Amino acid sequence: MKNWEKIAEAYDLRIPDSDLERIAPSLDALELAFRPLTKRIPDDVEPATTFRILRESGE
Amino acid sequence: MTILEAAQALRSRAVSSTELTEAALKRIGERNPELNAMIATLEESARTQAKAADEELAQGADRGPLHGIPVAVKDVFETRGVRTTCGSVIFLHHIPDRDAAVVERLAAAGAVLVGKAGMHELAYGITSNNPHFGTIRNPRDPQRIPGGSSGGSGAAVASEMVFMAMGSDTGGSIRIPASFCGTVGLKPTSGRVSRYGVMPLDFSLDHMGPLTRSVRDAAVTLQAIAGFDSRDDTSSQEPVGNYLPDAKCSIRELRIGLPQNFYFERLDPDVDMAVRRMAAIAESLGACILPVRVPDIEALNAVGRVILLAEASALMEKYIGNRDQFGSDVLALLDQGRLLPATDYVNAQRLRRMMQRDFARLWSQVDCLFTPTTPMGAPQIGEKTVHLGDFVEDVRLAATRLVRGINVLGLPAISIPCGRDRRGLPVGLQIVGRPFDEALILRVAAALEDAVS
Repeated sequence: MKNWEKIAEAYDLRIPDSDLERIAPSLDALELAFRPLTKRIPDDVEPATTFRILRESGE
Repeated sequence: MTILEAAQALRSRAVSSTELTEAALKRIGERNPELNAMIATLEESARTQAKAADEELAQGADRGPLHGIPVAVKDVFETRGVRTTCGSVIFLHHIPDRDAAVVERLAAAGAVLVGKAGMHELAYGITSNNPHFGTIRNPRDPQRIPGGSSGGSGAAVASEMVFMAMGSDTGGSIRIPASFCGTVGLKPTSGRVSRYGVMPLDFSLDHMGPLTRSVRDAAVTLQAIAGFDSRDDTSSQEPVGNYLPDAKCSIRELRIGLPQNFYFERLDPDVDMAVRRMAAIAESLGACILPVRVPDIEALNAVGRVILLAEASALMEKYIGNRDQFGSDVLALLDQGRLLPATDYVNAQRLRRMMQRDFARLWSQVDCLFTPTTPMGAPQIGEKTVHLGDFVEDVRLAATRLVRGINVLGLPAISIPCGRDRRGLPVGLQIVGRPFDEALILRVAAALEDAVS
């Protein structure tokens, strides 16, 4: 499992230890459910978020 | 009385909008001290709106079925000049200078806004046990939660304070309170109802929809609020349909899918029985009940959780330095989102695309799906876990398990009451449809409502 305490420290998130202890089981469970899914994404699948350039705005 | 019944009474002069509004305000005065469903009551402006509605109707200017009807909106919808808190102390003094698109459209339809409904803090949770504005209670049993996050909307409709209350739904927040409080709750297709002026929880999962006393009331509300809005980037230009089901609508030969996997696992047996009973009634009305296998909903839920955690934390990042401003449950979710790597968020959105394609194949087999809305009736206030057979499950995860994935897919879904469990608590049936096929799920729901009433 990931060391959430070290990750929080590296990101300088300033999450108190007691709060980290409380959320670690939820994060571990999500990690277990989510991580294997990422292995089955074909390379050509794009995210379900779109960026559309608009001619009139020049964005 | 439903919206359509009240609309008929208004037009026959059997009642006035002023009388309906006074009755709503009286009911709020009687029930709100116990239920805490309304965070604000707008007595003065409601009386002015009701008087104007009566005058217009007397002059023959008829804005449609919502004209003169007392309604509420969740306190996530911005209201010009009226405090909009999102159930959070961060926005304790937020007085918008604009109305949300939904509020504009309700006003254009002549609805009378009598108040703003309470909610789970920041719309981020399912108990509506709000640490800043107090616990909202379920009118069916005040010792139990109304569900959330639109808990005030569910409680206000179920206790007959208002005919309709608008909610928002990011991971089930309209359908869960509808199920727990025994009301109808409609989450339209993504892009069907404008999000303009709604304080966001999650950019890609938020949906707006009504909680009502009847299916047809949800239909006439959707008719009033649906449609393209250039101020919302995700708003759809898909034409608005005719949503109101006919008086004797038929579901003969419709194909209704009954999932053989996931949706009927880990349920209270009373919920299982109530939902299957509705499927049997649908069959007796001429519909074909087809067993189907749905794509991996467990995976879909994991994807939805990653997206929600990441997007909600990104939104609230600028406020999180002051941790005392948040309730402990919301803070825990915000912290979880901050610990997820960006790659997980991007991959969750890629998986979402894949799952959308997988699920789309289902619509060649069936016209809609029947599932339970929640696996159990409303839990007790303060209950952290629920026992479902041999399983012990976190209340939040259990309540969202059957509804969250539908937000990830953006599909329309409605929850309607389908009986009571052994404790007398309401049970909800969820009907899920094809994108932009609200008319069909409303027709199926209305046919069932007609059959059981």
